[in-house]
Amino acid sequence: MGLPIIKKYGGIKMKKTKLLSLILVVAMLLSVLAGCAKPADDNSGKTDAPDKVETPAGDAGDASDAKDIKVVFIPKLTGNMFFESANDGAQEIAKKVGFEVKYDGSPEASVANQVQIINSAVNQGADAISISSLSPDGLNQALKNAMDKGVKVVTWDSDVDPEYRSAYINQGTPELLGAMLVDMAASQMSDEQLESAKFAFFYSSPTVTDQNAWVEYAKEYIADKYPGWELVTTQYGEQDAQKSLQVGQSILQTYPDIDAVLCPDSTALPGMAQAAKNLDKAQDVIITGFATPSSMRDFVKDGTINQFGLWDVNVQGALGAYVAYWLALGNELKVGDTIDVPDIGPVKVEPNSIQGYDYDAEDSGIILLPERVVFTIDNIDNYSF
Amino acid sequence: MKFFVNKFVKNREVTVVLFLLILFSLVGLKNPAFISPSNLMLTLKGSVMYIALAIGMAFVILTKEIDVSVGSILGMSAAVAATMLRNGRGLFSIIIVTLMVGIVSGLVNGIGVTKFKIPSIVMTLGTNGILRGLMFIYTGGKWVENLPDYFKQASQKNIFGSMNAFVFFTFIVMIVIHLYLTKARRGKYFAAVGDNLEGANLVGIKVNFMKILAFVLSGAFASIAGMVYVSQVGFVGNVAGNGAEMTAIASCVLGGVSLNGGLGSVLGATFGAIIMNSINTALVFLKVPAYWNNTISGLLLILIVSSDALISRYLVTSAIKQRLSVKTESNGDSRKEEIGGEINEQI
Amino acid sequence: MSRFKKLLRWEAALVVLLALQIVVFGMINPRFLRLNVLLYSVNDFVSISIISLFVTFVIITGGIDISVGSIIGLSSVVVGILWKMAGFNIFATIPVALLVGALSGAINGFLVAYVGVQAMVATLGTMLLYSGFSLVIMGISGSSAFEGISGMPLAFLNIANGNVFGIPNPFIIFAALIIISYILLHKTKYGRYVFLVGINKNAARYSGIDHKLVTLSTYILSGTSAALAGVILTSYLGSSRPDLGAELTLSIVTAVVLGGTLITGGSGGVIGTALASVIVGILRFGLQMAGISSQYISVGVGLLLIIAVAIKGLSLSNFPRLRKLLERAIRN
Repeated sequence: MGLPIIKKYGGIKMKKTKLLSLILVVAMLLSVLAGCAKPADDNSGKTDAPDKVETPAGDAGDASDAKDIKVVFIPKLTGNMFFESANDGAQEIAKKVGFEVKYDGSPEASVANQVQIINSAVNQGADAISISSLSPDGLNQALKNAMDKGVKVVTWDSDVDPEYRSAYINQGTPELLGAMLVDMAASQMSDEQLESAKFAFFYSSPTVTDQNAWVEYAKEYIADKYPGWELVTTQYGEQDAQKSLQVGQSILQTYPDIDAVLCPDSTALPGMAQAAKNLDKAQDVIITGFATPSSMRDFVKDGTINQFGLWDVNVQGALGAYVAYWLALGNELKVGDTIDVPDIGPVKVEPNSIQGYDYDAEDSGIILLPERVVFTIDNIDNYSF
Repeated sequence: MKFFVNKFVKNREVTVVLFLLILFSLVGLKNPAFISPSNLMLTLKGSVMYIALAIGMAFVILTKEIDVSVGSILGMSAAVAATMLRNGRGLFSIIIVTLMVGIVSGLVNGIGVTKFKIPSIVMTLGTNGILRGLMFIYTGGKWVENLPDYFKQASQKNIFGSMNAFVFFTFIVMIVIHLYLTKARRGKYFAAVGDNLEGANLVGIKVNFMKILAFVLSGAFASIAGMVYVSQVGFVGNVAGNGAEMTAIASCVLGGVSLNGGLGSVLGATFGAIIMNSINTALVFLKVPAYWNNTISGLLLILIVSSDALISRYLVTSAIKQRLSVKTESNGDSRKEEIGGEINEQI
Repeated sequence: MSRFKKLLRWEAALVVLLALQIVVFGMINPRFLRLNVLLYSVNDFVSISIISLFVTFVIITGGIDISVGSIIGLSSVVVGILWKMAGFNIFATIPVALLVGALSGAINGFLVAYVGVQAMVATLGTMLLYSGFSLVIMGISGSSAFEGISGMPLAFLNIANGNVFGIPNPFIIFAALIIISYILLHKTKYGRYVFLVGINKNAARYSGIDHKLVTLSTYILSGTSAALAGVILTSYLGSSRPDLGAELTLSIVTAVVLGGTLITGGSGGVIGTALASVIVGILRFGLQMAGISSQYISVGVGLLLIIAVAIKGLSLSNFPRLRKLLERAIRN
């Protein structure tokens, strides 16, 4: 059997064996994959097939047993501390209550990828989707398709068109967050600075929805409350830590008399802090923004940063997963109601109008996180994300 | 022939330094803070990572191959180093293990390219994806944070007054490597392999070994760059190193390292890296609204490589023309113009 | 002729691979086998497929185009801005977007063919340039880059979301483009010129072919196809955004290489590319259906690429010692 190979080892007659070997190797690869994947998906593989095929309309939601409920938890992108923490919260509450949360996201922030993940979740028979959206309208088609097939849709952190989701776990309206950003900086300023501070915005990019929404509102807020302030520049770090560091340094060098830099981005803020530390300017500039406590802990402890903010992402993730599960159980959401969430307590369903939407319906609402947090050296050790 | 080739190569390095000076003077005119000594040192500090990548990449490109996996090698190395740091391992073992990441990756790349005859762009594209996935699995998707301060301080240490230690060492290393590649017998093998594979083989150079060595060096330097990253940035996110390979390639090309192999030096690549890094910061100093950043970076890159391509074409053309005119003059041939014209088109 | 035969064998292997994928993924999750699931899954990767068909042309000439991702975003922005800010009829924006794509491709081709810049570096620069343009256009026109433009008429959305007799429109567009690109590359003189330029630029020139023009034209084709993909993607999402498609470049190059086209140029085919792009797309989709998280998919694609190309180039002559061993074994 080995003879043909050796006889024609020169080249061209190898084709048949090449074909065979390619097929064999790939078959091996795929069967290894199959072996790995099967145990995790035993439920949807076996039990779903018979009944789901019959009733395409009632694909999801006919599982009244809590353990069968599967929520697909979709971040904007994976590998980002913020979203990983949200997932931690979701996984915790799922384990406690007894339902399944699958974390699925792509390492690149891409709207098209999110659409694919939504479609895939629907096709796999998920009961509910809980998503932080990259685009306020790009997911509409995919979500509509999901809702038509009976999959419940909940959003958290970053919303979509309210028509295409039942609830939005909101960390704060742009007004709340924009104002918070400004207030944190203002609270550290001297009277003189409050009159005529020079400041800058430094965050990820012009295409990230919520950061830009907060900044837009912050500008309005400043124009209203601190009209003497001067915006010297807006810079982008593209969520690249090295770039954020360099740009941060450049900002401090180009504007040596700058008073404050506002960084509502979890990569820009630590980059800016490190830049200030490198240039020894930490005492002269007020740096604040939004980032996870674990990335800023050292800076707070050594005095580079006085205070910065965020909200409890664990709680947000938990709520995102739980409300999705709650809806998948068959409960109906009504504006004005209160939902009891284990370990977190009662949360109220507010109308969509608080976020400025025109779409108001009985069964679509916003759940506002109870509080945002300002981290300082006194409380930062209380948080572990 | 040698005379012209030497002149040619020297010219490429001169041109890149020229570009660097032009860039700095133009920006400095608009905003003198850009060329202040402290900012210059900052720019150099920030370039160290890219210089390391470019030097490693230069080895590979000299042998007429390419390595687009250095970005994820950097990322993986940074993740490994940071995790070990956080777990309190000794500095020595951290350095060794991190280097191994790069060396092993380079080895895999090299073997794939030489033994399995996989085109280097495909091979390294594949390892790039695999390493990204592995990095994700290794870190569990979480950032690596809360690193001990001593490591972060290392990048800030100054020697001889205000010269940053990292920058100083980088330049020493760069000069040593440059001398090795241009003067040492073994060192010249890299360019020989890229310039004429068959010829190098016939002369007795172990071409496969040289190629594998080039990839290993590229991986090792990427690991070093990863450690520099950890020291300078202070934490490792999941996208660390994404796109760094493109910057490294652009740095090399800017510095005169030809993608066709056999031509170029780490000297040029280093200056190319400094240019690439300076563009980012220059834009802030120019006080241009930041959403113009990509447009301007792209334009600058295109401008520089285009003028570089045109210059090199001109040099090659004039070199050939000169040789031809000498030849035909001696032959009393009046067809010199015709031939010269045709050569023009060929290039 | 033997190169042609070689390619045919490779494409046959791809078909088997595709079938194998479907079978295996179907075994893991039977929902995968539902016809409308498979057909509609194409929507999620059709951009990659369409563009890789024409990037094949570019790679055959020995070049590469990594700016296609940015051209997608640029064309999306053109559609959105012209419709919303300039009041164009949305269908009238499509030819303009295609023109912009062609122009972008022309710039690429000009830099590579006439100025002599290396293709990789040239298209790296233009990648930055075009993505920058998208942002600038959005910024100057006053609409915000982060919100994107939406609210397009249903007729436009149906381009990507509609179907004909149950077959999704993008699938039909893809099939049509396969036929067009196949005829263009394999059945016309132009196609032969593309191959010749890739094999040996100077030989092509001596045969009277304007190799610079041919090279330029391949970039125009790839740019236009990127613009078309951008329009389809915009319709699919119902949103015009400058960052659409930025992450697709790697998958496109993977599809072309996996499809059997030599990265050094001179050899290749659109059928292989089409098959390979579907394989990569289905691999992504199938892995997701199998419950594997998307972040590990890059590992799978990377492995697939390396193994496929390795096997393609496999020959015992690369392993002289192994060969000697086997020879001795057979003799004894």
